[in-house]
Amino acid sequence: MLFDVQRTTVAGRPALTVRGELDIATAPQLAEAAEAVFAGSPAALVVDLTPTEFLDSSGARSLFRLARRAADEGVAFHVVAPRSNRPIRLPIDLMELDSVMPIVNSAGELPAAAVGREGT
Amino acid sequence: MTSTAVDADALARCADEPIAVPGAVQPHGVLLAVREPGLDVVVASANAAALFGRPVRGATLDELLDAAEAERLRAGLADELAEVNPLRVTVGGEDVDLVLHRADGLLLTEWEPVRGAAQAGPEWHRRLPTVLQRLSAATTLGQLGEVLARDVRAVTGFDRVMVYRFDRAWNGEVIAEDRRADLEPFLGLWFPASDIPAQARALYATNWMRLIPDARYERVPLEPPVAPGSGRPLDLSGAMLRSVSPVHLEYLANMGVAASMSISLIDRGVLWGLIACHHYAGPNRPSYTDRVAAEFLGRTASLLLPTLGDAGEQAGVVEVAQRQAELAAAIGRTPRTPAAALTGGEVTALDLLPADGAAVRLGGRLHLLGTTPPADRVLPLVTALRAAGVTATDSVGRVVPGAADLAGTASGVLLAEVAGGRDDFVAWFRPETLREVTWGGNPYTSKTAQTDAGPRLSPRRSFAAWSETVRETSRPWLAHEVAAAGRLAALLTEAAVNRASEDNRLAGALQRTLLLDRLPEVPGVDLAARYLPSQEDVVGGDWYDLVPLPGGRISIVLGDVAGHGLAAAAITAQLRHALRAHLLRAPGPGAALDGLNEVIGALLPGELATAVVAELDPATGEVVIASAGHLPVLHATAGAAAFLHEGRGPALGLLDVAGYRETRLRLAGDDRLLLFSDGLVERGPGGLDAGLAALRGAVAAGPVPPKALLDAVLATLDPPGTDDITLLAVART
Repeated sequence: MLFDVQRTTVAGRPALTVRGELDIATAPQLAEAAEAVFAGSPAALVVDLTPTEFLDSSGARSLFRLARRAADEGVAFHVVAPRSNRPIRLPIDLMELDSVMPIVNSAGELPAAAVGREGT
Repeated sequence: MTSTAVDADALARCADEPIAVPGAVQPHGVLLAVREPGLDVVVASANAAALFGRPVRGATLDELLDAAEAERLRAGLADELAEVNPLRVTVGGEDVDLVLHRADGLLLTEWEPVRGAAQAGPEWHRRLPTVLQRLSAATTLGQLGEVLARDVRAVTGFDRVMVYRFDRAWNGEVIAEDRRADLEPFLGLWFPASDIPAQARALYATNWMRLIPDARYERVPLEPPVAPGSGRPLDLSGAMLRSVSPVHLEYLANMGVAASMSISLIDRGVLWGLIACHHYAGPNRPSYTDRVAAEFLGRTASLLLPTLGDAGEQAGVVEVAQRQAELAAAIGRTPRTPAAALTGGEVTALDLLPADGAAVRLGGRLHLLGTTPPADRVLPLVTALRAAGVTATDSVGRVVPGAADLAGTASGVLLAEVAGGRDDFVAWFRPETLREVTWGGNPYTSKTAQTDAGPRLSPRRSFAAWSETVRETSRPWLAHEVAAAGRLAALLTEAAVNRASEDNRLAGALQRTLLLDRLPEVPGVDLAARYLPSQEDVVGGDWYDLVPLPGGRISIVLGDVAGHGLAAAAITAQLRHALRAHLLRAPGPGAALDGLNEVIGALLPGELATAVVAELDPATGEVVIASAGHLPVLHATAGAAAFLHEGRGPALGLLDVAGYRETRLRLAGDDRLLLFSDGLVERGPGGLDAGLAALRGAVAAGPVPPKALLDAVLATLDPPGTDDITLLAVART
């Protein structure tokens, strides 16, 4: 199954849209892509898991590390994981990832008016 | 037919032209092909009778020379012919230089009258030692070229002597020149590759010298045109009188050249460049001896080419080898952290070879050095090059059109892949060099003319300098640089393989200590465990444990650390022992998990693990369960099964203070509890939801005894072996 992380914009925020399986094999690619975003000192970062098909504990760990990094750098961090995407939402809920990072159901639920320091 | 097709056709025709077997010679001498040992003439140029004052075919050289000269000739034939040349003889009262070589099984004799030849005189030849000393004292190509141009001109008397050097595409650049003061300079001009077609270059790589004393000469045919015996026209590739291609004469006429000579510059068997001599005032024929002297300078310079600083393909070979040894040593010192060895030391991967930037991706992590494309462009660029099967390019836009905008940093990319399935690589980048090229005439103008035989090349008529800017091309990657990059990648691959096998050995040993050799016998408890390692031959992060507690209770633990390999196995070992300690001290499983969570927060920040603890009192069947983000425990009763969703908290490591809740149940009769890791349920079709449902179904329908139940579950779910899988089942007896 093809994995791919793309730099996108979600609700006006810099975002990484993750397609395919986010697992031990692919999590480093998410980390790498995020590194490039952090390098631009963004005000916010969204990881969009809407098209993601699988999430294992290593994938969850990579999200956790991004959330910590974002907190350290004062970057507003959100994860979009629709409740309808059960293969993603179930492990997120079991691990209670929402205890350390805001997880929203859709881009529309992101708090409005994030003022980005850069557009993408 | 398009103009390009015409051009290609004409070029092909030109490449087919039989320049080695023109069937004719130039008129400044006579060619006789004789059969040994009788020395009877079998082929003669049509001007022979005029020189000898008699018909020559059928005659022998003994009849054409006087007895003493014939004797010298026959004596010379036993020797190396090059040692004999030239043999000064007298024909019809004239001094003639007789030059010998063998071809097509015949002795080719070329007779060049001395009269009419220009003589540099003995003075120049006395200076030869000084000239040779100047040549060998040159420390740059420019100096070597200047000495060559000046002294070849001094000995041959041509109006202009140029030294030019071929680039990879066989375009020639004039790197040195000596000329008559009133001529416009050609220094720095480029001549397109089509000026010297491939078959001419092939000839020049073996034949060091060509001479055309009069570019308007009338060719003198050989008679008979086909040599007796071979049935082919005579091979003149080694003949000094060889008549040249009419296309070449036309080319010279277009340049206003009345006489020309060229001497090959050959670097270790490969044509490197030419000493090209032009005369404009009229015909010019240096004497045979002077030509030999000029050729000798060319041969000497050829031997010196590899020793000069800018040695073309070999440029920097010593430096690159030195850097490679230093990097190999750095990797050898710290084989577990090759990325640090390549990017953090005094000598980095960027220093291996001349480049402006480098990217090192090892273990899936990218490190950039120097001037490179943006980080998020590097992997896609490398992936696209791999897909195109290209490992070295000086013009990336031609291979990956979408990357043409990167020419400012990465017009040139040299890629060395590190095996191991993680898309690891080392890549070097060179920016485009904006190169102003001044052509001797526009190389793109049409060069074809229609003749009866079809389109034919008509050499450029305009020699006005014509410049263009060559963009989106970097300095090319030299063969030895590409080889050095490959060797570095091979070294990294080897280090990775060694590391992986060592890691696996260590991690395997570590994990064997984590998994119990034999389940402890606990009175009143029937316990079964199954552990299936990953089929991908990496050690996973699963662990399980049975911890007997004071008062007869027992804690059953199943956990999973995110990640694979040695790092995960080491963390797993720490968590297992920490949890044991907390289970023995804490009032219950929830509090023990709180303690473990603090351990991770304090000692292993950034790590993530899940674990579930079921504390059973065998006497009463009372069970207390707490879960840190783990998959739910399955409670099986007679013919049914249900997941326990209470008594949970977040995965270990997420929060500084977690506060794990507990849930309680009583294990009665044939009830069993099933603890399992995600490898059992997450990878099947339909994902985790479907996996959990399938597990509940299999357990509900499965046999009662824990061992039989686990075997049945594994058989029914048949999970893929991509992750390690752990299952525990417990019942009371």
